[in-house]
Amino acid sequence: METIDLRGVSCPTNFVKAKLELEDIEAGTTVEFLLDDGEPVKNVPRSLKDEGHKLLGLKEVDGYYVLTLEKVEE
Amino acid sequence: MKLSEEQITRYSRHILLKEVGGKGQKKLLEGRVLIIGAGGLGSPIALYLAAAGVGTIGIADADEVDLSNLQRQVIHTTPDVGKAKVLSAKETMLAINPELTVNTYETWVSAENIAGMIADYDFIIDGTDNFAAKFLINDACVLAGKPYSHGGILQFDGQTMTIKPGESPCYRCIFPEPPPKDVIPTCSRAGVIGVLPGVLGTLQATEAIKYLLGAGDLLTGRLLTYNALRMRFREIPVKKSAKCPICGDHPTITELKDELEAMTVCDLGH
Amino acid sequence: MNLTVNGKPASIAEENPVPVSQLLELLRVEQREYVTVELNGDILDRGDFDGATVKDGDNVEFLYFMGGGR
Repeated sequence: METIDLRGVSCPTNFVKAKLELEDIEAGTTVEFLLDDGEPVKNVPRSLKDEGHKLLGLKEVDGYYVLTLEKVEE
Repeated sequence: MKLSEEQITRYSRHILLKEVGGKGQKKLLEGRVLIIGAGGLGSPIALYLAAAGVGTIGIADADEVDLSNLQRQVIHTTPDVGKAKVLSAKETMLAINPELTVNTYETWVSAENIAGMIADYDFIIDGTDNFAAKFLINDACVLAGKPYSHGGILQFDGQTMTIKPGESPCYRCIFPEPPPKDVIPTCSRAGVIGVLPGVLGTLQATEAIKYLLGAGDLLTGRLLTYNALRMRFREIPVKKSAKCPICGDHPTITELKDELEAMTVCDLGH
Repeated sequence: MNLTVNGKPASIAEENPVPVSQLLELLRVEQREYVTVELNGDILDRGDFDGATVKDGDNVEFLYFMGGGR
């Protein structure tokens, strides 16, 4: 499973990069995004859900977050 | 074509939009738009297309920047007075966005050169200030099948329509021929409120961007008119005319010709 | 008769159909030498202004050349 590290990337660039990565993968694929605590984890998961993707899990690991989601085609 | 880090940052506000995304921004970067006229309408068009990242922008104008232009031709500044408009415009466009290709044509469009000029572009924008050019641009685009944006302003009024040749009405479907030549305009017709081309030109740039993205509904089959004093926009539905001399059922115009202009008063329109 | 002129209701003191050329006078339309008339969605030939008529309920738009841009 692909892991995209967005730690150290501020809003909204982290979301922009998540969008760009998702454009290039097939619908139905599961990916992981690593996100910082604070604004990133508050904004990015729900914004990706808003885009229609399926959130499979969000867990905290060592002060950062791992978001697992399945890409859904528009 | 993968976007660079710099492009991701530069175009982030575009990429965030569902209708754009990385895919759309790439379409803009691969897009080619020709702006005919680097003055009132051409200024905001050039500024916004450069900002949007339209990868190849052509700009055509034979004129030099004059002091009287600066009241509305916002791409030119006081130090540019005396400089060729296309060079002045190119400098500002590249300052906004250095990665673009800007092609300058320091010439007036004519029946002889326009077909060759428009051939390399995806979308054409009329930013000219005289009827001869407007009819010529229409004819050239219709004959070549090139989509284009018509724009015209006068004092406090503006109008614009997008033309997809063969599919939607063209300029001659509404105005089959230039206005009667025996009518001499008065001096006040040369006046224009400076902000007006800013509004109209930006609408035209919007159409070019939407065309390249394949997003939204283009302004085809409807003439959008604007009056700045009443602050009213109106939309007048227009049909493709069977009697149109160039795109109708029995076209009488099959080749490009320079329409000779009426006598102008105090360099009206320049 | 009641008409829609440039998107707004208008009425003129004529009951019978009126030639477009007369309508331009009745409504005191500006710049008659420049104006283009769209009647019920169709652009009229300038030569038809005497022949074409407007009747009650018709939709008229007056369109003008705008040649500026620089």
